[in-house]
Amino acid sequence: MAALLRGLRAGRLLRGLPSVVAAPASTNQQCSSLRRSFHCAALRLQDESKSDKSSASSSSSSSSSTTHHEHYQAHSSHQDTEAASQQDPDPNSSDREQDEEYETEEQLQAQILAAALEFVPLHGWSMEAIAAGAESLGLSSASTGMFPNGSGDLVLHFISQCNSKLTEILAEQHNQVQLGQAERKKTADFLRDAVETRLRMCIPYIETWPQALSILLLPHNIPDSLKHLSTMVDDIWYYAGDRSTDMNWYTKRAVLTGLYNTTELVMLQDSSPDFKDTWAFLDNRIQDVVNMATTAKQMQSTGEAVAQGLMGAAVTLKNLTGLNQKR
Amino acid sequence: MHRAAHTALCDWPQFVKPAMIRQSLRCTGSLQTSSRAYSVIPPPRDREEEEMMHRMLRVDHAGEYGANRIYAGQMAVLGRSRTGPLIQQMWDQEKKHLAKFNEILAENRVRPTALLPLWNLAGFALGASTALLGKEGAMACTVAVEESISEHYNSQIRALMESDPERYTELLQMIKEFRDDEMDHHDTGLEHDAESVSVFLIFALDDRLLNKNISKGSVVLNN
Repeated sequence: MAALLRGLRAGRLLRGLPSVVAAPASTNQQCSSLRRSFHCAALRLQDESKSDKSSASSSSSSSSSTTHHEHYQAHSSHQDTEAASQQDPDPNSSDREQDEEYETEEQLQAQILAAALEFVPLHGWSMEAIAAGAESLGLSSASTGMFPNGSGDLVLHFISQCNSKLTEILAEQHNQVQLGQAERKKTADFLRDAVETRLRMCIPYIETWPQALSILLLPHNIPDSLKHLSTMVDDIWYYAGDRSTDMNWYTKRAVLTGLYNTTELVMLQDSSPDFKDTWAFLDNRIQDVVNMATTAKQMQSTGEAVAQGLMGAAVTLKNLTGLNQKR
Repeated sequence: MHRAAHTALCDWPQFVKPAMIRQSLRCTGSLQTSSRAYSVIPPPRDREEEEMMHRMLRVDHAGEYGANRIYAGQMAVLGRSRTGPLIQQMWDQEKKHLAKFNEILAENRVRPTALLPLWNLAGFALGASTALLGKEGAMACTVAVEESISEHYNSQIRALMESDPERYTELLQMIKEFRDDEMDHHDTGLEHDAESVSVFLIFALDDRLLNKNISKGSVVLNN
């Protein structure tokens, strides 16, 4: 596995060179000599890449050049520590190196999955899509070995990406309201817009979405999918202004989860233009929720009034029968 | 009340600044209210610390909520008696603690415990049933409950001091203040004839068991 990764990194490093493309570990010899010749240039880049590394984001476009440097830096520092490993290895730099490797591996996985999303309409949410994605990045399709839970990883990656986008949008709206540049929406409208925005992100993959949902329901994927769902619902309510600290916290999130799931299922079977029927369904469900809340409030105030009436009647009776007097 | 809460929730961002000013004006001396410039809880370093903090805050919130309901139960029975004003005064301080924890939970997006309805009923039942045994019963209940709460806060203070006192300065200050308030309630209870031995023993045992189970239960079930 580690050799495979090194091979992959070597492949990425030398992508621009005509001699080597994606290659397994057998090209390590060539790589090391070429690496040493690049070392001086890399030293100049190391400072930049160190500052880049500290603020590394996972978006593939901006980080493709950064990861190139980071891969390189990981290798050059690895080489240096290997060469000097006879002496006392500095624990800080080895930790940092492990962190670098960890980060670049995750970033690499994220990049492969992001590239694989393009092939989902063709191959579905499967290992073939991941293999196609890896190949489109110039890596060998054997890199699907990095994803033991292949289709699950792909779907979860897509979902977490959508959730992050949603959170960004909501935070941006929140800022605008704070700055006074936008009007504050009513809760029902806010929820409606948030759910619609999030569901629209699935539209490009709507053909294969039933498959994605069934993948999410597999037992080993359920914990992760529930976690993503609950953080998304929590974020939506937070930006809707919910600051409750009692049972309302739970009921609100349960209601929104039900809303979101049922609307998602309706969307799968919707064939109207631009999913008009789905948004109409969403409107109706939100209206139901609002009505239920109003009814609950009314019932409670009625109940209180009735209780007070009964208390009054009881006191009156006691007065009439003389039980209230202290004799 | 619901409508007020609803509007308060919906208009939250607009009310942040004036609420802050109102809160600092409402400050009754000792408790330093949080302004938006800093928070009592330091921003978490990593996932682990965040979870630890959230657990702690959740249990504390549950404890204050329970204490609030206990006093409510006592007031429901003894509200119109001679000890009414005394219990009301102690209840008001507990309400302030609960408000503070509500604020912290909302700010830090901490999930409240799912057992809140249970503490609601249990607390009210405990307060009401001990108050039915008269003033001594109510005071004995107060003494036992406040003693367990103080122990709980003390162990939290110890844990925070052991881990990193400088990082948690404001939080430690707040918990120490709350613990001192609870000790005051404990002493008040003792002053007002809680020492009828048999009653006291019964309640000390029951409440200590109950409260240890409450805090352990919340910790276990909410993790």
